[in-house]
Amino acid sequence: MENTRSMARIIVVTSGKGGVGKTTSSAAIGIGLALKGHKVVLIDFDIGLRNLDLIMGCERRVVYDFVNVINGEATLNQALIKDKRVSSLSVLPASQTRDKDALNKENVGKVLEELGKTFDYILCDSPAGIEAGAMMALYYADEAIVTTNPEVSSVRDSDRILGMLSSRSRRAELGLDPIKEHLLLTRYSPKRVEEGEMLSVEDVKDILAIPLLGVIPESEAVLKASNAGEPVILDTESDAGKAYQDVIDRLLGETVDFRFLVAEKKGILSRIFGG
Amino acid sequence: MADASIEFKGTSFTLSVLHLKTSELVDIRADLVKKVAQAPDFFYLVPIMVDIEKVACSINYQAVKVLVEEFNFTFVGFTGSIDKEQRKLIRELGFSFVNASKVDTSKKTAVTDEVLVEKSNQVDVKIERKLFSDKIHRGQIRSGQQVYAKDQNLVVIGSVSAGAEIIADGNIHVYGSLRGRAIAGAQGHHQAQIYCQNLEAELVSINGNYWLSESMEQHWGSPAYIHLTGTELTSSQLI
Repeated sequence: MENTRSMARIIVVTSGKGGVGKTTSSAAIGIGLALKGHKVVLIDFDIGLRNLDLIMGCERRVVYDFVNVINGEATLNQALIKDKRVSSLSVLPASQTRDKDALNKENVGKVLEELGKTFDYILCDSPAGIEAGAMMALYYADEAIVTTNPEVSSVRDSDRILGMLSSRSRRAELGLDPIKEHLLLTRYSPKRVEEGEMLSVEDVKDILAIPLLGVIPESEAVLKASNAGEPVILDTESDAGKAYQDVIDRLLGETVDFRFLVAEKKGILSRIFGG
Repeated sequence: MADASIEFKGTSFTLSVLHLKTSELVDIRADLVKKVAQAPDFFYLVPIMVDIEKVACSINYQAVKVLVEEFNFTFVGFTGSIDKEQRKLIRELGFSFVNASKVDTSKKTAVTDEVLVEKSNQVDVKIERKLFSDKIHRGQIRSGQQVYAKDQNLVVIGSVSAGAEIIADGNIHVYGSLRGRAIAGAQGHHQAQIYCQNLEAELVSINGNYWLSESMEQHWGSPAYIHLTGTELTSSQLI
């Protein structure tokens, strides 16, 4: 591994709008990076509405949480949950009983610094909105994966978050290189784009003007995976699983063609034979 | 001498006009002190017309000229709807009298000869052109962000997102798509214009006159600029 210990990449998965797939994407990307041999920690910043542990299928193993660590009631090692499928992946769950005010910049910074000594990637799963919790999740980020659905309100909220990334983050405050921004388009349905019901990839790219990291097609596999606590990237047969795999390759610097951007054309034969 | 060394042409200028509501010089002075103190640089050597419509019969013209010059205005002449006798008197005293070229006044015929400023006195007639420096913003201006170019033009190298707001006291140039709100000539500048490579704005405003997107249909989604014609906003194609 080329990464040195002190150079952990802190990546925030954010969106502004809720329900667009932040946690699903965090889980998939966390597992994907870990499967490539990287040491990854996933942090749930959604204090009070913890979900990441459910999606990751480790909700029954939560003893201590992020807030316990912040308050010095538990050590990081006690709170971190090692994934049973991929040993190089750990989850730091959110507290279900506290609220977002439990976090402050100083304490979060200390925890991230501590994690940076062990992990290559620190993935921060941001809560929705633009309030303190979301600001805390993005504050220390080196990179941001802006999760967006191809519809107007989601794009608008992502635009707002991009503004926050460039003005309210640590990098902005210290005048360092700006946060590296990635666009992750989720729940994409080429068929509905063709029918004019959804914004196209090009529309969204044009409005947000940041590099495209991936396009995840709308897929039943995602819901199934979430309910089962098995991140969809592990479903290597599904379109969504394959699309997340491409995302991992791109995050690691490879150039991969985008898939699942056009609706499957039904040829005359398949129409006749129902193929 | 051939004619070539000079040429007469009619041109319109924008001049500041000081409207007098009283002939009491003491009161005028007191109010001028307050006004000029707000923006001394703005008024410095600004050519000025004095509208005496409300005070024509009762005022000392020479004293008015001396007064405004005391405040570093460049006195150009008098204006206002007053009767012929009065105008004649003003001119005999050696001052310029200029009719504002209002379309709604009944003196259409008089406009042509009176628009030329008579140079009977030693006043340099300067064109009032506001020269603004540029504030240059590189990168996208995103939803929720606001950029204000105070006493400047605003140049945006990037797009302005829906939900963003850009304001300039001068002109606005957007080298990208204008999807948010753009307010030019914010402190009152009639000649301000808004240029963009792709007009999809939520709102454009120049000197307080505004349009919502529905008024921009003609050049929607294309390179365009917005300017004022009288008090009407107009959009034109930007080639």
